Amino acid sequence: MIRLIFIVFIFTISAAFYSKGKTYVCHKGQILFKSEASLEVIEAKSEKLQGIINIDDRSFALMIDINSFEGFSTPFYKRLFNENYMESTKYQQATFVGKIIEKRNLEKDGAYTLRAKGKLKIHGVEQERIIKSQVSVKDGTLNFESSFSVFLNDHDITLPKIVQQKISEEIQVNVKGQMRLK
Amino acid sequence: MSIRPIILSLIIGCLALLSNAQSPFFKMHQIGETYRNAKIELIFEAQNSLLWIGTSEGLFSYDGLEFVPFLKSDSTSNHVRSVFQNEKGVLWVGYHDGTVWYLEKQQLNKWEPEEGTPSVPIMGFAEDHNGNFWLASYGEGIYYKSENHLYNINTDDGLLGDDIYVMKTDKLGRIWVGTDGGISICEIRNKEKIINNLTRDDGLPDEIVREILEDDDGDFWIGTYDKGVCFYDFEKEKFEYPLSNWDNGIVSKLEIFKDRELWIGTEGNGVWLLSLLDGTLQKLSNQNQLSGSKIHDLHKDIEGNIWVISNLHGICHANRQFEFIPITTGADFENIQSILADRENKVWVGTEKGLFTHELDELGNSFFTQHLKNQSLNVISLYEDNFENIWIGTFGDGVYIFNKRTLKIRRLTEKDGLSNGSILSMNGVNDKIWLATLGGVTELQLNGDPLENGSLSTRNLNQEDGLGTNFIYKVFVDSKARVWFATDGKGISVLENGSIKNFQKAAHYHEDEPGSEEVLLKAVYSITEDQQGHIWLSTAKEGIFEFDGKEFKHLTVKEGIRDLAITSLITDKKGNILIVHPTGLDILKPETRHLIYYDKAVGIEDIDPNLNAVCKDRNDNIWIGCKNGIIKYLPLNESLEIHPRTRLSNVSIFLEPIDFHSDTTFLYDQNNLVFDYLGLWYTDPSTVKYRYQLVGYDRDWIFSKDRKVTYSNLDPGTYSFNVASTENDAWLDEPIISYSFEVLPPLWQRWWFILLVLLSAGGIFYWYQKARDKRIQRVNLLEKEKAESNLAALKAQINPHFLFNSFNTLVTVIDEDPKTAVQYVEKMSDFYRTMLEYRDKDVIPLAEELALVKNYTYLLERRFGENFKVNLNMSVEQIYLAPLTLQILLENAVKHNIISKTKPLTVNIYMNGDDYLVIENNLQLKIRPEKSTQFGLQSLIKRYELLTGKKMKIEETEDTFRVEIPVVK
Repeated sequence: MIRLIFIVFIFTISAAFYSKGKTYVCHKGQILFKSEASLEVIEAKSEKLQGIINIDDRSFALMIDINSFEGFSTPFYKRLFNENYMESTKYQQATFVGKIIEKRNLEKDGAYTLRAKGKLKIHGVEQERIIKSQVSVKDGTLNFESSFSVFLNDHDITLPKIVQQKISEEIQVNVKGQMRLK
Repeated sequence: MSIRPIILSLIIGCLALLSNAQSPFFKMHQIGETYRNAKIELIFEAQNSLLWIGTSEGLFSYDGLEFVPFLKSDSTSNHVRSVFQNEKGVLWVGYHDGTVWYLEKQQLNKWEPEEGTPSVPIMGFAEDHNGNFWLASYGEGIYYKSENHLYNINTDDGLLGDDIYVMKTDKLGRIWVGTDGGISICEIRNKEKIINNLTRDDGLPDEIVREILEDDDGDFWIGTYDKGVCFYDFEKEKFEYPLSNWDNGIVSKLEIFKDRELWIGTEGNGVWLLSLLDGTLQKLSNQNQLSGSKIHDLHKDIEGNIWVISNLHGICHANRQFEFIPITTGADFENIQSILADRENKVWVGTEKGLFTHELDELGNSFFTQHLKNQSLNVISLYEDNFENIWIGTFGDGVYIFNKRTLKIRRLTEKDGLSNGSILSMNGVNDKIWLATLGGVTELQLNGDPLENGSLSTRNLNQEDGLGTNFIYKVFVDSKARVWFATDGKGISVLENGSIKNFQKAAHYHEDEPGSEEVLLKAVYSITEDQQGHIWLSTAKEGIFEFDGKEFKHLTVKEGIRDLAITSLITDKKGNILIVHPTGLDILKPETRHLIYYDKAVGIEDIDPNLNAVCKDRNDNIWIGCKNGIIKYLPLNESLEIHPRTRLSNVSIFLEPIDFHSDTTFLYDQNNLVFDYLGLWYTDPSTVKYRYQLVGYDRDWIFSKDRKVTYSNLDPGTYSFNVASTENDAWLDEPIISYSFEVLPPLWQRWWFILLVLLSAGGIFYWYQKARDKRIQRVNLLEKEKAESNLAALKAQINPHFLFNSFNTLVTVIDEDPKTAVQYVEKMSDFYRTMLEYRDKDVIPLAEELALVKNYTYLLERRFGENFKVNLNMSVEQIYLAPLTLQILLENAVKHNIISKTKPLTVNIYMNGDDYLVIENNLQLKIRPEKSTQFGLQSLIKRYELLTGKKMKIEETEDTFRVEIPVVK
C-alpha cells in the first residue's frame, strides 16, 4: 500500500519534471529526529528517504514513510510515536515539496548553501517553510544535508501536558541524502 | 494640478538679470580619508535623533561632527543597503551580501535565523501590525519572521516581482513593496499570506515602483521609474497625479515637508521640488551641482534640515527654513531698501537704482526684472492697495502709484497734500493708507481706484497732533486696527479712535531681576505684533521691548539678543518673532523667550540688512531684503526641535565603559569617572556649547565646548552629573540630562559594618567575662568538692571498722601463711600510700584507679574470701576518673550489704559505651544499716558534674545497685 502511494506520489510530482529536463533522484537518504526534553531524549531514524530535484526550474520533492522510523529507545515510544502523535496509519508520509530559492546551476561541481522554500507536510498538516541545506555537487552526484526544527503545534500534534517534560515541543530534524543526475 | 508655466517678463523695456539660483544653502560632509572611496548609500535618523550613514565600506554613526564606524565582526563585505530601527529600538542593518546584522551594546551582531538569510541585497525592513518582522530582498522577494520561522513571499506566491526596491508599512499595518511589476500589498492573516497587487490597471502610472513615502496623514507618495510621482489616497483608495507630465528621469527617493513641498530625488537628474501650495514643479538649482546627481537618499531631520545623499556630493544638508537669493555681481543694483510680495506672490524689490521684481526661470534660477526704468526712482518703501496697485515710496520724490497690468502711473507729492516727499514706510487697512514720512504722517482716504479716476483725500498728523516727532520710520497697523508709529527719538505713538498717544519711557524690567528702572525708548525702528496681541518694538540702541498694553518688558543682550543693531522685526505664522540684524537672524519664541540663531551655517552672511525691508507673502514665507540679496524664510509646518538634543553617550570608570543605564553604585576605589556627552544640533554643530555640574562635587555649572569630562578621586558619597547643551548661550530653558550615582564608602567606613564590629566586640567581651566568671566559680567548687571527697575517702579508710577488720584478717593469716600476711601488709600500705598520693589530684588515669582498686579488692577478698567478688570486665582505656571514685563506691557496697556464704556480694565494673563506667552490685541490704552520711556518694556526684557537666546516674532496684560514672576524656 505504502509502496503504491509512493509510486503515485513520485509519478504525480515528477511527471512535470521529467517532461522538462534533467533531475536528480535520491538513491540514498536518511532522516534523523531528536526530541530533547528536560527529562528525556528521544531519537529515531529512517533510511527510507525518497526525493527528486528538477534542476531546470529548481523544484524538488522529498518524502519519508513515517512507519519506517526505527531506533526508539523503547518499543513503547515507537508505539506512542506512530499511534498517538503521528497517527501513521492515517498520515503515512511526511513530504516537503517546493522550489529552491537560489538560482544556482546544480550541474556544476561545487559546494553551496541553498535554501529550499516549500510546503512541509507532517501529520497531514501543511506548513510553508524555508529550509537551509548544505549541498555539494561532484560528478553528477549531489549530496545534501540539512538541520531544522519542527514545532509540533505547527502540525496539529498535541501533547498532553504531562508528557511535555519527556517530549519536546520542538523536534530537531536532520536530513541527509545523496542524489544522482538522471 | 499642472505645472504652471513660468511667465517670463512681459513688460517691454525691462531688464533681465540672471542671478544665482534660489536654493537652500547646502553644506557638505566628508567621512574622512580612510573611507574616501566609500559610496554613500543612505542616511537614517534613529529614535534618539543620532544619524546613521550606510556606505559601501560600512555603517557609521554621525553626530554632525564625527563619523564613527561600526563594522561587522567577520571579514565579509560591509556594504550597507538598508537600516531600520524597530519599535523596541534595535537598529537593524541589511547588507549587499544578503546578511542581516543588528546593533547591541554598541556592537554589530549577526542575525542567524535557522532558515538562513538571503544571498541577495537586503533592500529594507518593516514591522507589521502583528509585530512580524519583514525584510525586502533584491532578487528573492520578501521575507517575514513570524513566531518561530522565517517565511518567503516571491513571485510564486503572487508577488509582482522578486526585485524589491522599497518596503513600507501602511497605516493599516500592511506591508507595501515596490517592484518591477507594480506594488504588492502583503499581510499575514491567520498564518495565510494575503497579497493584493496594484498595477497599471489600478491606476498606477508606471509598473516600476522605486520609492514609497508616507506623509503626515499616512497617505503614500509613490515614485516611479518613468512617470514621476503619484499619490495614493487611502480614504478614496485611489491614485492621484499631481504631475501631468514628467520627463526628468527615474525617481529614486522622496521626502516631504508637510503641506509645503515634495522633494523628488532622481537618478541622474538631481532634485526637483513639487510645491504642495500651488502645484508648481521646480528644479533645485545647480548651486551645489546636485542637478546632475543620482540621488541615493533624502531625509528631513527634526530641526528642519534636509539631507541629500548623492553620487557626486556624498552627504550634504541644508536648513529648509532658509533660502538666500544673492544679487549677482554685474547686476546694476545692490542694497535692497524695501521689499513687497504682492497678491500674486510676486516679490517687488525697491533699491536706490529703481524698482525690480524677482523671477525664476525654468531651471529654478533667479533673476530680477526692472520696472519703471525711465523714472530713475530711489525706492525706500512699497505697499499694495486694495486695487492691486503698487505704491512706491521714494526718497524725496513722493509716492508713485503703479499698476503692473495697465502700466498706469500716478505720482503724489507735497502738492497733493503729502506732509513730506520722503516716504519711509507705508501701511493701510481697507481704504485708508498711512504714509510715514520725514515730515510726519499723511493719512490718505481712497475713494475708488486712484489710477482709475478715484479721488483721495489727505490728512496730516504731526508733532502738534501728539506724535513723538515728525521723523517716522515705520507705520504698523495691528490686529485691532490701531496704527503704531515708530518715531525717531521719542518712542512710539499710537493712533486709536482718532487720537494719538505717545510712549517714550519703558520700565527696564527683566524677568529674573527684581526692581526696575526707567529706560527711554528714544529711536524706534521697527514694530510687530505677536499672536497674543502684544506689540513688539526694536529700538536703535536699547534692544527689544514687548508691550502688553500696560507695561513694557525689555529684552537685550542679557536675554540672548545677539546684536542690538536691529533693523526689522516680523512675526511668522507660528507666532515666532524674527529679529533681523547685521549678524544674522534670531528667531524668538515669545512665550518661552527661547532664541535660535541663524547665520552663515544656513547661508546668511554679510547681509547688512536695511531698515524694515521685510515682508510676508501669501504662503507665509518671509522675505528679507539685504545689501547682497534676499533671505527667504519658510516657516515649516513640522513641529521642529528648538533645542540641541543632549545625550550622555558614555560613562567609563578608569577608561572602562560601563552600562550607565543600570549601573549607579560604585565601590570606593571605582572613583575615577569619565563622562562623554553630546548635543545634537545638525543645523550648526560647531556652535554647540555645554555646561555641566557634578552635584556633590562642583559648586556651580562649568561651561565648556568639550564633549568629555573626567572626575578622579571622588570621595564616597552620592552625586548627580547634570549636563545641558545650547547652540546660542541661552541656558534657561535647555533640558538637563542627569545621571545620579553613588560611590560607596569602603567596607570599613560603612555604618552597618562599624555597628557590626562594635556589637561583636561587645559580644565577645561579654561572653568572655561570663565564661571567665563561670570558670572561676567552677574551679572553686571543684576545689571544694575535691577536698570533701578526699576527706570522705580518708574518713572511710581510717574508719576503725576497716582497720579492725583488716587487722582481724591479718591475724588469721599470720599464723596460717606468714608470707601472705607480709603480702597483705604490703598491699595495705600500698593502698594507703597511693590514696594519699592521689588525694590532691583532680583526675587520674583509669589504669591507676584500677591499680588502687586491685589493692583494695585484695584486702577485701582476704577478709571475705569467696563471698566477695569484683569482676573487672574492661580493657584499660584512655579515660580519667576522679581519684578514689571506685574505691569509695566499693567501700559503700561493702558497707551497706550483707556478705555471707549464702549471700555473696558480686561487684561488676565495666564500660557502658565510651562515656560511662558502670559499677554494679547485687543489693542485699544489711538488716541494721550502718550509720551513713551519704557524704561520699553526694560529693562524687557533684565532682563529676563539675568535671564533665554530666550527672552520675544512680539506679537502685530491688536486687541491684548500679552507678554510672561519666568518665573524663
